Order: sequence, then C-alpha cells, then structure tokens
Amino acid sequence: MILTVAQVMWLALWRDRGSLILAFLLPPLMFFVFAEVFSGTGENELEMRVVILDSVESPVTGRLRAEMIALDGLVVSDQTALDVQALEAQVRSGRHDAAVWIRAEPDGDLDAEAAIVVVGDASRALATSVVVGRLQAMLQSSFPEFGIARAATLVDALAGPYSDDQRQALDEVLDGLARDQAGLGGAGAMNDVRDDASDNNQGAAGGLIERRLLAGPDRGDDGISYYAGAVAILFLLFSAMQGAISLIDERTSGIVDRLVAGPGGYTTVVLGKGLFLTGQGLAQAGVIFAFAWWFYDIDWPGHFGAWLVTALLAAAVSAWLGLLLASLCRSRQQAQTASAFVVLILSAIGGSMMPRFLMPGWLRELGWFTPNAWVIESWQGIFWRGDGVPELATGWVVLAAIFLTAMGLTLWRAAGLTRIK
Amino acid sequence: MGEAAEALLRVDSLDFAFRDRRVLNGVALEVAEGEIVALLGPNGSGKSTLMRAICGRLQPDSGSISINGRNPHTDRRARALIGLVPQQIALYPHLSVAENVRAFARLSGTPAADVANCSARAVELCDLAEVAARRAGELSGGWQRRANIACAVAHSPRLLVLDEPTVGIDPPARREIESLLGRLAGQGIGILLTSHDLGQLERLAHRVAFMIDGRVAVSGAPDTLITEYFDQRRECSLVVDRPPSDEQAGKLALAGLGVGDDGGKLHWSGLVDEQVRDTQLEHLLGDLGLSEWRVRRPGLDSLWRHLYGQAPSADIA
Repeated sequence: MILTVAQVMWLALWRDRGSLILAFLLPPLMFFVFAEVFSGTGENELEMRVVILDSVESPVTGRLRAEMIALDGLVVSDQTALDVQALEAQVRSGRHDAAVWIRAEPDGDLDAEAAIVVVGDASRALATSVVVGRLQAMLQSSFPEFGIARAATLVDALAGPYSDDQRQALDEVLDGLARDQAGLGGAGAMNDVRDDASDNNQGAAGGLIERRLLAGPDRGDDGISYYAGAVAILFLLFSAMQGAISLIDERTSGIVDRLVAGPGGYTTVVLGKGLFLTGQGLAQAGVIFAFAWWFYDIDWPGHFGAWLVTALLAAAVSAWLGLLLASLCRSRQQAQTASAFVVLILSAIGGSMMPRFLMPGWLRELGWFTPNAWVIESWQGIFWRGDGVPELATGWVVLAAIFLTAMGLTLWRAAGLTRIK
Repeated sequence: MGEAAEALLRVDSLDFAFRDRRVLNGVALEVAEGEIVALLGPNGSGKSTLMRAICGRLQPDSGSISINGRNPHTDRRARALIGLVPQQIALYPHLSVAENVRAFARLSGTPAADVANCSARAVELCDLAEVAARRAGELSGGWQRRANIACAVAHSPRLLVLDEPTVGIDPPARREIESLLGRLAGQGIGILLTSHDLGQLERLAHRVAFMIDGRVAVSGAPDTLITEYFDQRRECSLVVDRPPSDEQAGKLALAGLGVGDDGGKLHWSGLVDEQVRDTQLEHLLGDLGLSEWRVRRPGLDSLWRHLYGQAPSADIA
C-alpha cells in the first residue's frame, strides 16, 4: 500500500509537466546561475569592467596600461576618460565597476602621492577591492623594480645612507629589472596600498595604489538602496503573479462568461485587475522604502518624485507580466508553477538575489533583459548616484516599453480567450 | 404567451460552422418579454453555441440575432440587456452576497448612482436578504444558485440566459429556483434556459425548443407538443412476477409495449393508445401476475426519447 501511494505520487508528478519542471529543471538552472556567479569570485575569474585615465602618458605608464589591458578578469573599456571628473562619472553611472587613474609614474619616493588611484563606488566596494588586488598582483609580477626601489628608499631612510657604490649598483639592478620586465615579467614584493574611503577622498602620503571610494548623495546608504530595490522588485513580481492568477479562477468559475456577456467585456475586467495590481505593487514598494527611510536613513522624501515614477513603472511591469502569464496558462496550478519559475529566474539574473557586478559578463548582459535590472539600476541611480531625469530616462523608457508590451499582449490574448470567432 | 407579445429576442436563419463542422444550421428562435423558453438537445446539438452567439461571444457566419432590435455581437447596449447565469457558481467566494450583487451590477453597466437600489432589488427579488451579509463561498448550493441568479438580474436585464440553473442542488432548492424564475418572468423578463430537469421544464417553460443537428427542429408549449406527438397515447409500464408466455408477449408487443432493459422479460413499457389499453391490455393484465402497473401521461422525457431515440439521462450527466 505504501508503494502504491508512492506510485500514485510519481504518476501525478510525471504527468504534471509544470511540477516536473519546477522539481527538476528549475533547481539545476538556479544552480547554474549561482555557480556561474560564485565560481567566478575566486582568483582571476571575476570579470571587472574598468576604465583607465593615464595623465602621464610616458613609456612606463604606457607599459602599465598595456599590462592592465592584458590582465585576465579585467575588462578595460575602449573608452578613455578625459579627466578625473569624467572618470568618476563613469563609475557613478554604473557603466564601470571601477576606474584606474594613473596620475604619476611610480617611483621610490615614499612621500609622493600614490601613483595609481583606483576609483570605485562605495556601494560596490568589493569590486574596487578586486581591482586593487589584480593591480597589486600585476605590479608584483610585471613591475618588481617599483617595489624594490621603494624598499631601497625605506632602507636608505632607516639604515642608510647608501654609499655611492651601493647607490650605483642599486640603480643598475633597477634598470636591468625594468628592461627585463618590459619584455618578460618577473617577481617582487609590492603590498603598498593606501585605502581612502573618506568623504573628501584626499590621499595621504605613502602607497603605490590608492583606493578611492565614491560615496552617494545619501552618505549613510551603504548599499541599502540597492537591497531595497532588489527586494522590492522581487516581491512585486511574486505578488503580482499570485494576484493575476485570479484571472484563471474567474475563467474556470464562469465569472468571465458572465462578464463577457456584459457591456464592458473582458477587456474591462483585465484592465481593472491591472490597475489593482499596479496599485498593490506601488503600495508594496512604498512600504519597503518607508522602512529603508525610517530605519536606514535613505532620503526617500527627498527623491520622492523620481522614486514614484520608478515605483509606478516597476509595479505596472510586474502587474502586466503577471497578467500575461496568467492569460497564457490554462490552470491555476500551471500558472503557479510558471510564475515561480519566471520570478526566480528573472530575479536571479536581474540582480535581485545578488549584485550583478559579481556575475560573469555574459550573465550581466543577459540581466538587461529582465525588469529587475532596470528597476534596481533606476532606484540606485536615484538614491545612490543622485541621477536626474536625463540619466534615468533610458531605464524608464525600457520599463515603460516592457509594461506596454505586456499589457498589449495580455489584452490581445484575453480577447482571443473570450471570443470563439 | 409568446405569439401575442412582441419578440424580445429574435434569432433568424443563424448559421455557424466551426472548422468543417456545421454547429448551427439555420436556427430560428424567439423569446418574448415575460416568456420562459427552454432550449433542449443532447450534447453537440448546438445549444451552447447558440447561447454564446446570443450573448455576443460568437460571430455567426450568417443569419441574425437581435435583442430589442440590436445586435449583441456589435452593440454594447444589446449586451447590457442580457443577464447571463453560467452553469458554474460564478461568484466571488470571498465577497458577501450583497457585495457580489453590487459588483456584478456595476460590471454589467449599471450607473454608479443606481447600483445600491438595483442590488437591493435583486437581493429582495431572489429572496436573499437573510444571507446577504454572508460570504458567497460559505453558502449551501441552493443559496449559491439563487445568488448566481441575483448577480445576473442586478442590472435589470430584459433577457435572462441560464445554463443549467438547478444542476447539483436538492429538490426543495430546485423548487425555490423554479419559483424565482416564475417571478422574474412575471416581471416581464424574457428567460432562455437549458436544463436537464425535464419535469421542471414541463411545469415552468412556456415553450420548449428541441435542437437537432444545429437547428430548432421542434418548438412549442410543452402541453401542446405532448398532445401533438402522443395524442391519446399513455406511457405504460409494467413489471411481472414471471416472464409472459409467447402468446402474451406477442399481445403486449401488439399493444405497443417493449421489453425493458433488464432482458428478463419481466419489465415492459411503451406508449399505448388509451383505447387499446382499455380494450386489449386490461384483459391481459389479470393473467400476467403483475407486481407493478403504471400509467401516466407522456411528458417531455417521452418526447425526448421519441426525438433522439435515447433516454435523457443517457445524454446528460
């Protein structure tokens, strides 16, 4: 008898394609996404997009740039920033994970400002650290003379001064190393990084690499706006999908038959549902950001207008994607399975479950096909970067296009469902 | 009824084919104000398709449908005159009866200012006052059926279209629905319905329309049709203790009785002319060892069997 029950369960699962997909296709797909992300976080597999500004343009800095471009895991943009402001703007906009500013030729002067500045976004501090780590490794292997020169200067200051012979011998060694490394690469010691995440970003004397983190307009944010947006769109999608399933209930209960016979027709019903689900989504997003404002000092009232536009679009997109899915499914069970599948995949790829900068390049690009990525970017732009309408316009247009397409397809499908001919 | 009154619903020469199959084939039908018309026929005879066409959900290939002179497929005002009661309980289960009635009144085009009055009238008309505040999903089948009708009449339609309005409910609840439909017709609402309860239709319907091969083949008042088809014949049924002799069986067959489905020649039934019954059958009965003998006037079920060659229950689940 126990086996019979198990057999019945198996047959039910086997014949229910949706449950089968949920049980056996979704888990490996989710695993694949997470594996792609987290297997790429070790060594040089994490791809970081950087833009370089070389203010010196000497043969040495030229070599530095060439080595950076050749680095695995560092995707150097073809774009070259014209000045530091442009460099920072590129990082703030999220187009690049970090920027490398070569502001001086590295030398042994311990009192000089760091020759290389890695500019990153405080909300993606991890990305900045990864870039700094890559550059350190590259300097160790390809420019050992910089480290030795600095070590020699230190020894000279602490135990020196060197004699003329010692100084000459040292210069010869350093020249030789520079010549060798120009063609070969080598090894050395270089752990000379100065961390500067202070508000004014003024560098202190010391290291070869300075890390400069750009804070958003809301200084206390620390990535809260990212997570508020990521969680909001995830739950907006889930709630909208669940709410939209009532469309199927009404179809099977005969309510649709009754309403279609009425003067308003089914379109009125679908539009009414879309309106409600959009309102519900707006309220949900409001609750999440109100929490973020109350507990984490996000400047919600200060950006309310832009937040409202994004929230409205996010809610409308969620509502109409949910209704589209419900209109395509034949039963409640099928819709529940499909919605779980769609929401989890969109959220994993779109950055609701983990920051997209942790993803491999192809997955990041794929993320732009999800509403999650656009919604998260828009809210980050508003709260973190302080973007205005011109910067936010692209995201809003994309979200509006998704919303209108989903609404059009849903209404078209609804008309087909309720009219035989 | 019907002939004198002006037709509220007029269906004329309606044709509709789905792929290669002709579903409606020149259907003609009328329903007058205050008239109850029952649409009858086995599965696939075109009833549902015809009802969909009347409700404006289907564009016929040719022919015409008009409700008060308007085409329901193209004219919203014509659809506003229809109240549809689907076979399923088409209610929002989490809403109270009163909230359901109000919602459907609004969705059916009742102006906002009139919704409260119209809904209250529908609740009263359908005798739902005592359950008006209760959630629809918590009610018994009979109450739900009445609420189902109340939602369809909330916007004061002129034509009520009901698909199996009494399916799945007990006899007392059926009688309630029957009485309700009678009251609605009394208010001038034209009613077109399908039902598997032929006895109920016989009592309730002013006219019945039997559909065969996509057209209304037989139509008229139940009594008139029964008289027309069966005249003086009566439906007789007898059960005997032992199988009749060959001679007796021959006489039973001659009188119009056939062997029942049991195969044991113990149950005989059929339509027997009253004169034949009185002159031939009564003499025979004494010798048969009868355990049961029933005579009744033929009904719509008899007409169904006559027209479709099968019992109604064989077709309707």
